[in-house]
Amino acid sequence: MQATKLRLNLAVYVIFIACILLAPMFLEEFALNRLAKFLVFGMLGVAIALSWGYAGILNLGQGLFFGLGAYMLGMSLKLASPTSMAQGSDTPVPDFMLWNAEPGSKTDLCCINGGSWLWIPFQNHWFGILMGMVLPTLVAFGLGMVVFRKRIAGVFVSVITLACVLLVRLLIVDAQPLTNGWNGLTDLGILTIGETEFDPYSVTTYYLVAISLSVALILGRLLTETRSGMILQAIRDDYNRARYLGFEVSSFQVFFFCASALIAGYAGMLYVIVAEFASPAFMELSFSITMVVWAAVGGRGSLIGACIGALLINVIETSVSETAALVEAWKVIIGLIFVLVVLFMPQGLAGLASSVTDRVLERFSGRAARLRQADSQQQPAE
Amino acid sequence: MTVAALTLDGLGVAFAGFKAVDGVSIIIEEGELRVVLGANGAGKTTLMDLISGKTRNTSGRVYLYDTDITHWQEHQIARAGIGRKFQIPSVFRELSVRRNLEVASFETPGVFSNLSLRQTAASKRRVEEALELTGLGPQADRLAGGLSHGQTQWLELGMLITQNPKILLLDEPTAGMTQAETRKTTEILNALRGKHTIIVVEHDMAFVREVARRITVMHLGQVLAEGDIKTIEKDERVKQAYLGSKGIM
Amino acid sequence: MVDTLFIGLSVGSVLLLVALGLAITYGAMGVINMAHGEMVMLGAYTTVMTSTWLGLGIWWSLPIAFAVTALVGLVIERLIIRRLYGRLLDTLLATWGVAILIQQMIRLEFGLSFFGIHIQGLGPGLQNMSIPDVLAGTINIFGTELNKYRVFMILVCALMTGVTWLIMYKTSVGMQVRAIIRNARMAAACGVDVKRVNALTFAFGSGLAGVAGVLMAGFKTVFPDMGTPMVVDGFLVVVVGGIGSLIGSILAAGLLGQVNAVVAWAHNDVIARAVVFAVVILTIVLKPNGLFAYKRR
Repeated sequence: MQATKLRLNLAVYVIFIACILLAPMFLEEFALNRLAKFLVFGMLGVAIALSWGYAGILNLGQGLFFGLGAYMLGMSLKLASPTSMAQGSDTPVPDFMLWNAEPGSKTDLCCINGGSWLWIPFQNHWFGILMGMVLPTLVAFGLGMVVFRKRIAGVFVSVITLACVLLVRLLIVDAQPLTNGWNGLTDLGILTIGETEFDPYSVTTYYLVAISLSVALILGRLLTETRSGMILQAIRDDYNRARYLGFEVSSFQVFFFCASALIAGYAGMLYVIVAEFASPAFMELSFSITMVVWAAVGGRGSLIGACIGALLINVIETSVSETAALVEAWKVIIGLIFVLVVLFMPQGLAGLASSVTDRVLERFSGRAARLRQADSQQQPAE
Repeated sequence: MTVAALTLDGLGVAFAGFKAVDGVSIIIEEGELRVVLGANGAGKTTLMDLISGKTRNTSGRVYLYDTDITHWQEHQIARAGIGRKFQIPSVFRELSVRRNLEVASFETPGVFSNLSLRQTAASKRRVEEALELTGLGPQADRLAGGLSHGQTQWLELGMLITQNPKILLLDEPTAGMTQAETRKTTEILNALRGKHTIIVVEHDMAFVREVARRITVMHLGQVLAEGDIKTIEKDERVKQAYLGSKGIM
Repeated sequence: MVDTLFIGLSVGSVLLLVALGLAITYGAMGVINMAHGEMVMLGAYTTVMTSTWLGLGIWWSLPIAFAVTALVGLVIERLIIRRLYGRLLDTLLATWGVAILIQQMIRLEFGLSFFGIHIQGLGPGLQNMSIPDVLAGTINIFGTELNKYRVFMILVCALMTGVTWLIMYKTSVGMQVRAIIRNARMAAACGVDVKRVNALTFAFGSGLAGVAGVLMAGFKTVFPDMGTPMVVDGFLVVVVGGIGSLIGSILAAGLLGQVNAVVAWAHNDVIARAVVFAVVILTIVLKPNGLFAYKRR
């Protein structure tokens, strides 16, 4: 029965991946762009499920990693934008830097304002892409080393991550000349790698997102099936027991915290490509908690469940929000969904699906057993 | 010739001046099953905490065979070969019984060395042995959170065995058990005798008589007496320490 | 500089009022109430409503807001919190949902806006409260001109804190609450009606937030989202002060309020908040149990 269940679980992955890969055959470019955004959110769901469901770390600041990833690539794309060449200098300079510049300073990234030199390496988009993955992971590593080495757990980790995301958001807002403050990075250029242009409305970009999500799902699932993945779940249940069995508990927590951050950072980069902006709103508390809602509704204990949860909520939200009057009503619904899910469905849709499968399989195997029994009783009579 | 498996040399700890364990020196031989007795607050559990690294000692040393393991981290002590069962049974409640044992059987402490989908043949074998020994085979696919109290205790014992330690520290392995369950626990312990060095903290005298050859009695953080059951029962100081309750036996 | 410290004190005192409620419910019931900020918001709206519709001044708003928010708190406890005892992080998530619901309730004017009915004082917009003349202007204390309204805020907060302290340490209900904070099961075994005491605790904590809301209404604009930063700050105060410790919350509120005011004076508001967050992170890392944690064995 365990084997049947595993097979069914894998089947869900296969069907889901097939669906998102085949979607371009049925959708036109506007809908495709929208779906790509949702898939990015699905990736965030995977990141949350990995840290919350598997590691037991409720990160209320996942937006930090998403935002960092977004800003890193956003900086490269800002420099690639035609607006950055319109300042009359030989090298690109973001338009907002000119607006914020001290009078008389040279229009060049080296010295248009204090700290603008930080942008120089981002002229190479590979640097932006690299940093989009490295920086979130590095920040998660630093944070994790402090928090988990100190054996901080439970709600305290949530508070620290929450404070971190709000802190970084304020720093970005405050560094207006460097980051364009509240407005974020807009008017971005299009990512071009070799001959390929990743136009946000193109099928190419959609495939970039869909394949990235598939890879994240498969690698994530594999990761949870390794011995480390099992030990991680053991640590989630009882970190003391795991420690006295001889496991270096913090190393597992740090590793998976980083993995989750990497996925979120990567998702942030994809979002910038698809949505063409990076904004401090990514680091607002409500966005980070919204991600947790997606994962809770889909099922925190299942990577694909959390991913589907994110997709589902966003699809419904978008269709409801097409009527202006219902936008506010939707928030009521989402609040209600959240309360009800926590109260009555703590394992989310994935948990529901799992228990239904159990029941069906039980009935099935029960009937099979009865049939066998009946057969063996009848045979001697014949 | 006998070998000392665990040597405690003047081990002690003080909490804000209060000496919970005070200059305890014990030598436990390889393959021995040692029972530690004592009233509440005698320092038995604290002694276990000191050996397993949960509490840092403020004086004395701990040796595992010839290795000085004083002040090592918990997981390092566990890897060196000391397995510990807690007074309140702790298992991984959201994982299946088999998965609990599998996790216990993994042989390396860090995350990178465990990034593999395979389990070694030796570790698989130990899981099967532990299922056999604890009789939890029929429950193997159930979640550990759904086990009865006694089964949970045996599972934790099984996890310790799967971990394959040189020394087992068992803190009240029969606490809260029915008579039948206690009997089964006795059987499991007797089966382990000789294969592992075992230290048991226990109150249940019926159980102690059944398993113990050598007993250490603790009182107010110190070793009061040591010897076989007969010696302990006759010991005047032990009787005095438990005066009024007509001794501990 | 005295000015700055005084502003810090007034900010800290409102923060304390918000944090006190959170501290009691978190300590006693193991509930992180993310809807606590909405109690502040409801308190502020009660002030707006009583003045718009009943023509009552801020003096009347204080008891009315306390009653209204305490009642709402009681309902939330009955409907939701009661089912979630022992699931700390789940309470955080569920009450976040409740917070959204309450915000939308105000924004949509209890749903009436769908039918084109509008209630003055509610809705998505900003509301402004004028303060009574007695509290306008400044007052000279020890040679320093101080804003009267801020003095009033500090006094009310001190009064409510005093009342809370009296209830906690001088009444039998308070003793039961403290018993529950230390060990809920033991308290239950000793005959404390934990459910009833928890419900009362939750209502009282919500009421305190309501009073904080009245005070907020007098010097900031009132709008449906105003509670969110309040609950975050209050929650940080509780964690920094040490869960279950009233004195810890009081000192932490003072500390964070002062840090905020001083840095805001030296740099700007944004950096001030950033520094507050940094202080919180450092505190948890260095003293994971908070500054004044009660030690459990």
